[in-house]
Amino acid sequence: MRNIFVRFFYAFLVKPWLTYIVGVSFKNTEVFKGLDQFIIVANHNSHFDTVSIMAGLPAKKRQHTCAVAARDYFGKTSVSGWLMKLFFNAVLINRNRKEGEPSSIEILDGKLKEGKSIIIFPEGSRGSPGAISNFKKGVAILLKKNPTVPFIPVYLDGFGRVLPKDSLLIIPLICKVRFGAPLFSSNENIELTLEEVKEAILKLKQKDERDRNQFELT
Amino acid sequence: MTFQGYYISVEVLFSLLIIFSILIVCTCAFWIISKTNRSELIDELIIRTNSWWKMALGIGILITAPAIVGTIMLSYVSFVALREMLSIGRFRQADRSALFAAYFAIPVQYYLAYHNYYHQFLYFIPLIMFIGLPVMLVISGNTTLIGRSMSTIPAMLMLTVYMISHMALLFHVAVPGFSGGGGALIIFLIILTALNDVFQFTWGKLLGKRKILPNVSPNKTWEGFVGGVLTTGALGGLLNFLTPLELHESFIVGLAVGIMGFLGDSIISAVKRDLKIKDTDDLIPGHGGAMDRLDSIVITTPMFYHLSSYFISN
Repeated sequence: MRNIFVRFFYAFLVKPWLTYIVGVSFKNTEVFKGLDQFIIVANHNSHFDTVSIMAGLPAKKRQHTCAVAARDYFGKTSVSGWLMKLFFNAVLINRNRKEGEPSSIEILDGKLKEGKSIIIFPEGSRGSPGAISNFKKGVAILLKKNPTVPFIPVYLDGFGRVLPKDSLLIIPLICKVRFGAPLFSSNENIELTLEEVKEAILKLKQKDERDRNQFELT
Repeated sequence: MTFQGYYISVEVLFSLLIIFSILIVCTCAFWIISKTNRSELIDELIIRTNSWWKMALGIGILITAPAIVGTIMLSYVSFVALREMLSIGRFRQADRSALFAAYFAIPVQYYLAYHNYYHQFLYFIPLIMFIGLPVMLVISGNTTLIGRSMSTIPAMLMLTVYMISHMALLFHVAVPGFSGGGGALIIFLIILTALNDVFQFTWGKLLGKRKILPNVSPNKTWEGFVGGVLTTGALGGLLNFLTPLELHESFIVGLAVGIMGFLGDSIISAVKRDLKIKDTDDLIPGHGGAMDRLDSIVITTPMFYHLSSYFISN
């Protein structure tokens, strides 16, 4: 029942609104064909990022894909935590965890072992608009612990202008979710894997493309 | 043919018949050619023709549906075009509220067009939005490069909303003794503008020598321009049955569409060259963005409206 509701919600409300009003387009969605499990790694500039990636997934894969969110931000009230879980299958992570609690890596590794896929923004927070800040190591550790799971690099173009960090105003402007082909990391070293992931994301940004994740002169 | 208060004229049906037969012929021809020898050119042409089918279906609904449906369709075209222009433009963080406000001009402008409040229609964007948007920018307080934003946002609004909304006024044209209605005028304008691009391109390829705008569009030539304008003028005369105009008047309208279509194309080309982009987006496969296709019609629409109403009223 819940799955049917969420599926309809995406198909008839979220996706049409994103495509026809906001101006999001989804590129290379065929990379998910024949893929059971994956880790989506994307750059992060806006609250729109998660919902747009989720909307771009094929409906059957969406059910089994969890977004990772910070408990101190999205789990503030029980309503927002419940909504995050309903629409994004969110895994709420404690950024300042107390001793004895399982670490974020352990929770996410558990999800992967269950057969779920996850969406990770390795930059951690949305950061300053446009800039790609340093990647956190978690993604590389997860990839190393689950060598059979490929990662899908995603470049999000333009979301930093539609809804930047300190704003509530959503402006319709063209933005793109560009999925890359699934990749397996070939490196043993965690730092090198991280570098590989970052490179795969930046490769999806087209050569002559202006950085549309930020306005000029901010 | 009447149906609940509005009717589809014979002229409109006839022109739709011609358009769809041309498309069917092209589709079949390209399909047969692609079976025998496959090349990149033919693949590109097939993609373009497929996009033309979708656009032709849209145009078919636009000119046969009741005025309210047509007006809503045109307002969405304006919205997509404005969104595209605002996306390629160079703006500042401080412009966000003005960018947001610019979209609200669309429902107001098309409301005025639908109810034929002609006077308010004419001044709403050139006066009210032209003052209102800069005021919003001033209130936001950041003055660095404010002049650029003050001029580009209203200019983009004029180009994508004000200009295209003149097409919605054509639904209200009522001339005694003319049975075609607004739909016929719209299809006349669209056929002339679209084929003018083709004529200018073809004449340029055949005879082109002297460059007309070497720094803006290196492919445009004097020969293509003159040949295209004259051919479009002749086509305007040929399609005279779609308008209430005299034969020589529709010939003049055709010439003007040729000239203005060229100018619109050049304006958007120059903007794209400045921003160092090839297409404004990739919305329409084989054609580029919406603005790449609308570049000439944004200029020809108001010209056509005012020129033909001058001819009709005199």
